[in-house]
Amino acid sequence: MTALFQELAGLWRLRTLLRALTWREVHARYQGSAAGVAWAYVQPLLTVAAYYLVFDIVFGMRLAQGAPTGRVGTYLIVGSLPWMAFCDAVGRGTSSMLDAGSLLQKNALPPALFPLRTVAASALVYGPLLLLLVLAYAPLHRFAPALVAAVPLLALMGLVTALLAWLLAIMAAALRDVVQAVGFVLAIGIFLSPVLFPMALFPVAWRWVLWCNPMTPVILGLQSLLLQGAWPPAAVWLALLAWIAALACVLSLLVARSREQLVDWL
Amino acid sequence: MSAHAAGALVPAGDPVVLRVAELGKEYRLYASPRERFRALFTRRALHRSHWALNGVSFELRRGQCLGVIGDNGAGKSTLLKLLTGTIQPSTGSVWHAGRVTAILELGAGFHPEFSGRDNLYFGGSLIGIGHEEMARLEPGIAEFSELGEALQRPVKTYSSGMTVRLAFALVTAVQPDVLIIDEALAVGDQHFQKKCVERIMAFRENGCTILFCSHSFYHVRRLCDSTLWLRDGELAMQGATEQVVSAYEVYARSRDVSAEALEQPIEVPAAHAGAFTPRLGARIVAMSIDETDGADPPLLLGRNLRVRVTARLEGSDEVPQVLVMLEQFQGHGIATDSTRADGARPQRLPNGDWQVVLTYPDLPLHSGEYVLSAYLFDAAGVVVYDEWYQHARFRYVNPQLTPGLVRLPHYWGER
Repeated sequence: MTALFQELAGLWRLRTLLRALTWREVHARYQGSAAGVAWAYVQPLLTVAAYYLVFDIVFGMRLAQGAPTGRVGTYLIVGSLPWMAFCDAVGRGTSSMLDAGSLLQKNALPPALFPLRTVAASALVYGPLLLLLVLAYAPLHRFAPALVAAVPLLALMGLVTALLAWLLAIMAAALRDVVQAVGFVLAIGIFLSPVLFPMALFPVAWRWVLWCNPMTPVILGLQSLLLQGAWPPAAVWLALLAWIAALACVLSLLVARSREQLVDWL
Repeated sequence: MSAHAAGALVPAGDPVVLRVAELGKEYRLYASPRERFRALFTRRALHRSHWALNGVSFELRRGQCLGVIGDNGAGKSTLLKLLTGTIQPSTGSVWHAGRVTAILELGAGFHPEFSGRDNLYFGGSLIGIGHEEMARLEPGIAEFSELGEALQRPVKTYSSGMTVRLAFALVTAVQPDVLIIDEALAVGDQHFQKKCVERIMAFRENGCTILFCSHSFYHVRRLCDSTLWLRDGELAMQGATEQVVSAYEVYARSRDVSAEALEQPIEVPAAHAGAFTPRLGARIVAMSIDETDGADPPLLLGRNLRVRVTARLEGSDEVPQVLVMLEQFQGHGIATDSTRADGARPQRLPNGDWQVVLTYPDLPLHSGEYVLSAYLFDAAGVVVYDEWYQHARFRYVNPQLTPGLVRLPHYWGER
């Protein structure tokens, strides 16, 4: 674990640079387009709006008994917005070190800056949207006090995402195939989560598979908060902490193993 | 500015600014990326080791200038990258005091879509110059890089020279404590190159320590107090520049003799790719040998070899330095002589051109075919303005028919 803490201490000293890199990342994604950074916010907002219009207004689809809410659109939105954020951060994060290869080979910078700035850039886009989502659902539960749990929940989601993106970025530096594999896993990962179907609809024997997705506890937590106005169950917090501990252990190992050679691999 | 003759060290009282101890870099070569991936998780993955650098130790004191020479692949670039911290050492350590600036590959990290100014601020943050400090430095950088209005345009609209100018102005905006230069005396056009050299020289005058990696022995000899020779990743020799460079030249020659015939010209100042950029403003306009006939190659008629080199420096009153090199045609180098080394001053011609006349009296060469090259330098003898490499050929017939290359001054008996 010392390897990881050493890295983190180094990164903390470079926090101003991390901020500059994050701003640049957000702007660079849309540099040259007329609407600029607005695109980053418009795309997920329109997707969410489409879910609501199609499922709740036009078709008025209903979920089966046992779901946390009856309305399909309302249900889908709560899971899909954090899932989009997760895919954006992890997908871009995985290739972030490789993309920054030439920069890293010519500047004395810790490689971890790049997955972290990618995750931070995604957080800058999706963080406000997720908070907006919480505010939009709050009136349904008469602003229940449990809604404040959204803040630590989203913070832990950010931590899991950052650790995972960092880990995958190191793996991608060693083996380029990781980038392709991650893209594929993110595409099918939505089916291994309660984003599309409530947990209750999954066969009991197969529910454990869902917990292999680090986003499952986050989505379950948000669903209980936003759809029922209830505190997330203890299992959510425990699963998140377990994921963080596991990721930190593996990451620490990889950081220690790769530190000396990482830049040579890019 | 003058090279230290012996010992080559700045007085021991100056503080150490760079300390390298037992530095080594191992590159692990895996049979496939899969093996490399496996190595992340298990200790059983197989790899071959390549030590690009091994057991290198040295210290640099404030104000010293160290040259680094060696063959390609000897570990020079690895050493420089380790010193700048872009790659991590496998063994040993690098310690430095204060700011280290590297002029290695300029312009890396510039984003083509952003304006020069945006890139300036971003590039500054990469090398530890914060926003406020950059705001203070910006006018100076804009002036030095001579970009003017272009600073507001996206970098993708820049010429390569403009990008490099901006990058050089950025990295040298703050005086470093240690400056690492990798063959970077070639930046942009000649006019800017001169400015760059002047800035580096000014740093040096102010006590900046310089580590200079170059294939140009002319420049290493001219600039470095001491020199370090790397061979196969290890320190082959370290000490006073002249000793080390000449030892390396002997080594390089002995190695080349077996490889290719006996062709061994004198090392050419900065003549390798990129190190000199012709500019219309400063150039050699004529080079001639007196007293020759009209044959091809011309025959030297007299006993004296007199070479005239005429140079033109437009829009400047700078007094240039000229170096003339004499070689056997397709053979050994024989002599190089420069106005700077001999303290000679070129003559100003009425039209503003500069002319040097170099005479080798009673030419002590044996009969054969020879060739002359001329180099035009700035006043400090650092920037190569122009080169006429192996330009003037001539034949020479020495009436004394003895074998050999030169007639050395000699006498018989004790005197």
